[in-house]
Amino acid sequence: MNIGELLLILGSLAAATASFIWMALRVGSGGGKAKTKTGDLTSQAEEDVEHIFNNEFREELRNRGRLHFEKIIGENAMFLQQDLRLTTSQLNEYMKAEITNKLREEFAKYEESIADAKQLAIESINKTQQALEQQRQVMSQQLAEELTKEKERVLQRFEANMADIVNHYVLAAIGDQIDLNDQLEYILADLEANKQAIIQDIKDGA
Amino acid sequence: MAHDEKKALVLPVSVVNRSDVGRLLRELKVLDEFLQQAAIRQPGSSMKMPRTSRFMDELLQANKLNALVEADRKALVQFIDDVYKKAPTLHMSFNADPSPLFSQQLVTWLRKEIHPYALMQSGLQPSIGAGCTLRTASKYFDFSLRENFKAKRELLVHQIQEATRNAQ
Repeated sequence: MNIGELLLILGSLAAATASFIWMALRVGSGGGKAKTKTGDLTSQAEEDVEHIFNNEFREELRNRGRLHFEKIIGENAMFLQQDLRLTTSQLNEYMKAEITNKLREEFAKYEESIADAKQLAIESINKTQQALEQQRQVMSQQLAEELTKEKERVLQRFEANMADIVNHYVLAAIGDQIDLNDQLEYILADLEANKQAIIQDIKDGA
Repeated sequence: MAHDEKKALVLPVSVVNRSDVGRLLRELKVLDEFLQQAAIRQPGSSMKMPRTSRFMDELLQANKLNALVEADRKALVQFIDDVYKKAPTLHMSFNADPSPLFSQQLVTWLRKEIHPYALMQSGLQPSIGAGCTLRTASKYFDFSLRENFKAKRELLVHQIQEATRNAQ
């Protein structure tokens, strides 16, 4: 029960009291036609009113009113307390729910950002790995080609040098072993093969 | 050179190079002078006999001439002088010093095939291995074993390549 209701009850009590008094007064002043009777009645009414509404009756009314007021106040206080408790509990529940939701949302966002960062890192690592793999393949291929070319170069140098070495060795080995007289036939064969050129040169020179 | 078609003189094969011809020419001139002096000398005066080499003997023998006959001497002097001045000289290098017999055999072929009065000047070139090099007035011929190896080099390289491929 709130203060408005309390005021309403007090107002109704006051209205009842006022109507009672008015009724009493009206009854007292209602026999105006017979003044004497009325006057007697009035004075009697007034005495009765005084007789009814004496100090004890007023005190009793005050006590009852006080008790009723206290009762009303107590009930309203209790209602107010209950309402406050209910409101407080509802507020606590509301705050709890709101905070929980907020925290859940924030944690979800944090988890999502962590997952995104993780995914980005994984993608970056994968890309780097792919690039490294491609580079490794390219370098392997280049290395294989270079090795092949180098092998060919070495082989060519070896073959060229080996030919010169063999020539030099044979010349050195047999050069001074062949008697000049044994070479005569070989020399004459060469001279015979180039005879015409020699003769022509001598004729031209002459 | 002017060849006397009536009597073509022969240059002995022992006369190989221009130095030999020069020596022979000097001998002929000395002999000719001596014999001329001998004709007009005082009887009983001493004269020193000129020495002649085997070249002279071979020259006279090959051409069947008499050195005591002045005409023969004159012809020989003229002939040798012509040879000295005009005969073609072939410079040939070998890996060793040629023996006289070798030189004569070579000169025999040269005079038979190239020119009847060809002279040969020999040189030494050990790096050629075997064979010879021939230099004429304006040409150079390499008949050496070294040059032959160079010409056959591709064959050797091919053989080495085959051996290398098979070894792999």
